Amino acid sequence: MVKKTLEIYSVELSGTKDIDQTDKGDDGKEKYRGLKNCFEPKKNHQKEELKKELDLDDHKLSIKELEKKYGTNIITGLSSTQATELLAQNGPNALTPPKETPEIIKFLKQMVGGFSILLWIGAILCWIAYGIQYSMNKSSSLDNAYLGCVLALVVILTGIFAYYQEAKSTNIMATFNKMIPQQALVIRDSEKKTIPAEQLVVGDIVEIKGGDRIPADIRLLSVQGCKVDNSSLTGESEPQARSSECTHDNALETKNIGFYSTTCLEGTATGMVINTGDRTIIGQIASLASGVGNEKTPIAIEIEHFVHIVGGVAISIGILFFIIAVSLKYHVLDSIIFLIGIIVANVPEGLLATVTVTLSLTAKRMAKKNCLVKNLEAVETLGSTSIICSDKTGTLTQNRMTVAHLWFDNQIFIADTSEDHSNQVFDQSSGTWASLSKIMTLCNRAEFRPGQESVPIMKRVVVGDASETALLKFSEVILGDVMEIRKRNHKVAEIPFNSTNKFQLSIHKTDDPNDKRFLLVMKGAPERILEKCSTIMVNGQEQPLDKSTAEAFHTAYMELGGLGERVLGFCHLYLPADEFPESYSFDVDTMNFPTSNLCFVGLLSMIDPPRSTVPDAVTKCRSAGIKVIMVTGDHPITAKAIAKSVGIISANSETVEDIAKRLHIAVEQVNKRDAKAAVVTGTELKDMSPEQLDELLTNYSEIVFARTSPQQKLIIVEGCQRQNAVVAVTGDGVNDSPALKKADIGIAMGIAGSDAAKNAADMVLLDDNFASIVTGVEEGRLIFDNLKKTIAYTLTKNIAELCPFLIYIIVGLPLPIGTITILFIDLGTDIIPSIALAYEKAESDIMNRKPRHKKKDRLVNQQLAVYSYLHIGLMQAVGAFVVYFTVYAQEGFKPSILADLRVEWENGNVNDLEDTYGQQWTWYQRKYLEWTGYTAFFVGIMVQQIADVLIRKTRRNSIFQQGLFRNKVIWLGIASQIIIALILSYGLGSVTALNFTMLRPQYWFVAVPYAILIWVYDEVRKLFIRLYPGSWWDKNMYY
Amino acid sequence: MAALQEKKSCSQRMEEFQRYCWNPDTGQMLGRTLSRFTLHTPLPAVWISLYYVAFYVVMTAIFALCIYTLMCTLDPYTPDYQDQLKSPGVTLRPDVYGDKGLDISYNVSDNRTWVDLVHTLHTFLAGYSPESQQDSINCTSEKYFFQEKFMAPNHTKFSCKFTADMLQNCSGLVDPNFGFAEGRPCFVIKMNRIVKFLPSNSTAPRVDCAFLDQQKDAQPLQVEYFPPNGTFSLHYFPYYGSKAQPHYSNPLVAVKLLNVPRNTEVLIVCKILADHVTFDNPHDPYEGKVEFKLKIQQ
Repeated sequence: MVKKTLEIYSVELSGTKDIDQTDKGDDGKEKYRGLKNCFEPKKNHQKEELKKELDLDDHKLSIKELEKKYGTNIITGLSSTQATELLAQNGPNALTPPKETPEIIKFLKQMVGGFSILLWIGAILCWIAYGIQYSMNKSSSLDNAYLGCVLALVVILTGIFAYYQEAKSTNIMATFNKMIPQQALVIRDSEKKTIPAEQLVVGDIVEIKGGDRIPADIRLLSVQGCKVDNSSLTGESEPQARSSECTHDNALETKNIGFYSTTCLEGTATGMVINTGDRTIIGQIASLASGVGNEKTPIAIEIEHFVHIVGGVAISIGILFFIIAVSLKYHVLDSIIFLIGIIVANVPEGLLATVTVTLSLTAKRMAKKNCLVKNLEAVETLGSTSIICSDKTGTLTQNRMTVAHLWFDNQIFIADTSEDHSNQVFDQSSGTWASLSKIMTLCNRAEFRPGQESVPIMKRVVVGDASETALLKFSEVILGDVMEIRKRNHKVAEIPFNSTNKFQLSIHKTDDPNDKRFLLVMKGAPERILEKCSTIMVNGQEQPLDKSTAEAFHTAYMELGGLGERVLGFCHLYLPADEFPESYSFDVDTMNFPTSNLCFVGLLSMIDPPRSTVPDAVTKCRSAGIKVIMVTGDHPITAKAIAKSVGIISANSETVEDIAKRLHIAVEQVNKRDAKAAVVTGTELKDMSPEQLDELLTNYSEIVFARTSPQQKLIIVEGCQRQNAVVAVTGDGVNDSPALKKADIGIAMGIAGSDAAKNAADMVLLDDNFASIVTGVEEGRLIFDNLKKTIAYTLTKNIAELCPFLIYIIVGLPLPIGTITILFIDLGTDIIPSIALAYEKAESDIMNRKPRHKKKDRLVNQQLAVYSYLHIGLMQAVGAFVVYFTVYAQEGFKPSILADLRVEWENGNVNDLEDTYGQQWTWYQRKYLEWTGYTAFFVGIMVQQIADVLIRKTRRNSIFQQGLFRNKVIWLGIASQIIIALILSYGLGSVTALNFTMLRPQYWFVAVPYAILIWVYDEVRKLFIRLYPGSWWDKNMYY
Repeated sequence: MAALQEKKSCSQRMEEFQRYCWNPDTGQMLGRTLSRFTLHTPLPAVWISLYYVAFYVVMTAIFALCIYTLMCTLDPYTPDYQDQLKSPGVTLRPDVYGDKGLDISYNVSDNRTWVDLVHTLHTFLAGYSPESQQDSINCTSEKYFFQEKFMAPNHTKFSCKFTADMLQNCSGLVDPNFGFAEGRPCFVIKMNRIVKFLPSNSTAPRVDCAFLDQQKDAQPLQVEYFPPNGTFSLHYFPYYGSKAQPHYSNPLVAVKLLNVPRNTEVLIVCKILADHVTFDNPHDPYEGKVEFKLKIQQ
């Protein structure tokens, strides 16, 4: 068996230190480093206490010393009174749940994001404007006050919606958190009692058995074949044997400590509680996670950027027109109202709601594909991810030992390690295989729990050790009913595995009625098994074990070991019938049977195999330009083997060590540039400066970090973030939770994941399937593209809504479109089409392009703004003005008379205003015409927005390439636009407060040519972009 | 901020600005390297500018073309639709507006309070002097004056004369103070013009004034109408628009209020009674009627 390089493993648990240093900010080099040698006096008492736990030395103490230290007795346990006192003193043995943000704070937080701020400012400006108007004229129009209220209402409603969405996924999470209250068997007052694990106190003597979760950090006092699963803490998938002796100075390495929340797989043990609740190792890691700040999501940054653009445009146009208004001799207060009006008109009222709905639609779609998003904004983050730091155990691997390779007849066979083992293709005709399978079946104590006949074999619950389980399932799959075979081959004697023997042996009657011989079967550490053999079976024939076969054995053993697999050797012996008659009584203590000169049959190696979907997913991530880095607590050899098998290290790339080995030169002599891959251990990482880490991350495309501590995972994530990368971290264990929190997006496993991991993560993979991440990346990229389209669509009509106001100020036309009407566009007709754009399919294979650059590929870039505002927006404005002028002209006011008519038009005391034909209009008649103008302008914009939503379907391809009818929701959106407009005009046309009138049917078609023009123009734009990539056209017109 | 604090002469600044606009050393224009956009041509920034110029010229041209086409489709004499002008508005002279509508108040004994009102009437009626009306013809018929053809000079249609003297006592000729001095003021009611509008089927439209909130026991408003009966003669209708009838003047009706109570504010409404004139639009206080507050102090 490959020797584990234990000495390189050193976990530095120093929660306090890390938090402290994080608090101090980026002091670079020393961050997370040199933690052991710079203890500073801490002010905080609790932190002091935490620090003390670092020097955990209970594993080194003798039982007597322990009893003294904790005032307990290992036979009688604590007294109930002592226990009650200690419980009151130290608090219950439970992790303090992460500080729950009060619901009201969560709710309010939804209303102060980048976008919401913009709307709030808009609302306040509106109220200020109304205040000014009211102070000037008591009977002034309430429009501004309404607008302010609507803006506030939009923010509040959207906030409620977003809050509800997130609360919903939190609720799904909560169902995971429901845990059956844990019980612990404890000795108190010399009696064994079962008490809730929460009531355990330091000094309690607890008993654990296979299947139990260890209820606190315990120092083991006596152990019977106990193995624990530490994978959630250290990432080791293999069960770790426990003993009562101190085997290592490091508390995490020593075998006589059992850690809180890890599972005892088999055997029994008695231990003394040495730490409870938050003071346990797990508790400290959990508190480390809560000390890590959450990063702003990329989409939040993008939206902030967008708000800056919109704000910049709004304020500059506003100020420009303020100056113009003042120089046109407008009253200063009026000019201020214009200024506010212009700024507010630039606020895209509907966009906040649209973006929120769009994100939650994607979140819902992802939830269907088993990606549960806890934070709406995280939906997009996966799309911009450029580095995925993945944990190994349970994320990339199945987290169960499985037979991976077999060696017999001098040949290595590969077993199917996929989730259902269905496809075992190796040669099963050899007589050696028959023998090997027999040994595998018989020399095995693991059993299926009864009553699982209908459950697929791989999912059945097995009682027994992990490797025996693997063997049992393997043989059940290939041979069929193992229990039946065992019954036919009655077991007469057995020596179970122990660490001194390093083998397991059993003696059986054979199922061949003519063969009265007993069969002795043995498995164990290969080198031990080989020692006991004198012959070897090749093709079913026994042959003497000579040097060359031994050589072959060693080669195979080294090769399998080099794959990071756990190798077992198998041998057997038919006991001669004359020496061992049927009545012979075997005695396992005196070993009255031969245990040497056996016949070596074969080797079998096991590994925690990768999930079958992972290699494909890793390849997809690769082609999507995402670097996949493995960060694991497991040993480098296993890590590398898994990395190779899933493609994190691709087949043809080598590490420096590989090259050195191949060329037979020293590692130092290898040109580091030749190596594409790197395997870095925690110890090496510890000695690296941040600069060296940066260099490592940039120079190698395939990196595996092994034997890393939770702190080091943080350092790695930070290193990646320094490269301007958007980092996703996947993990399931408690040890991953700080990194999950630190990452731009933390992804936890839903089934295997620990609660700490799920709490720290932004996203939970409900089916633990790494491949779901690829779905997430795809959805994230798609939503980014589609948000771009949505924003472009929404921004366009802003100009068409703003122009009338500007013209009104400068030329003095009767106001072409009113505030309320604009609101009906922004929050009425435009909402569903802009949401419908979220359903748009990708234009090209989004999984074949590089992740977007955080700083360069913005959501809203200059091209998008310019094209929306100055091209399409302007065309829309022109089209809508044509409708407006048509209505006015046909009713009697030709454009020539409209100029500078504003003051008289709006004067309620002028009731005989003459039009072009000499007709005289009362104020209300004019007002009604003005509303008809609003409706006409509204309809004009609406019709052109239909063209706009169609052109926004694609940014590069022609609409016909994209398919006009592929996205049905768009058509639903267009229908909604038309229906809402019809209802507003014909249904609510008589409600004067809404300023809509019944528009003559022909006016609905005036803007249609402009809509067609917009569409043709955009098709031409796209055509030139496709024809001349890289030209000035492409650079300026592609958004 | 540093840039602002640096002391530079004006010429230096100008030079720097020029350099920003066009830097001959690096070939940068407005801080941009032109060659950044180079692919098909050495001067793409020029292309972009040209493109924008062309784009806006084309858009303007399209807009102008649309408006031109629109103008071509319009009938120069009659508007296409008169959706809002179903019923004419009514206005009052003198027109003094308060916070809510017409609000006239004056003191009989203080002629400074009503001289402006009288002046307004005089100015208004100046348009009805015989000199101003000389281009119109005298009409006597009490029927609609339909004109299919453009018989009048310069391809126009005839307009009927309405002169101030038709208002008799309220013409300002007999009593230049329009009765304001004795507390029996004259008001002039004008009906808005609507092209081709026929106010009624056969009878002439008539003005009728009354207290708005007439109490049962209170005395009704006594009004003297000029021309007699307060009618607008049918020969002033239909109106053919300002292009066909450039000299057209709205017919007027003057009302002389005889028994306005003193020192109290009264609400008076003058309605036009005609088949096609409505005065019950709740939103429009000036459609088919005019309401005004009147307070005469003594």
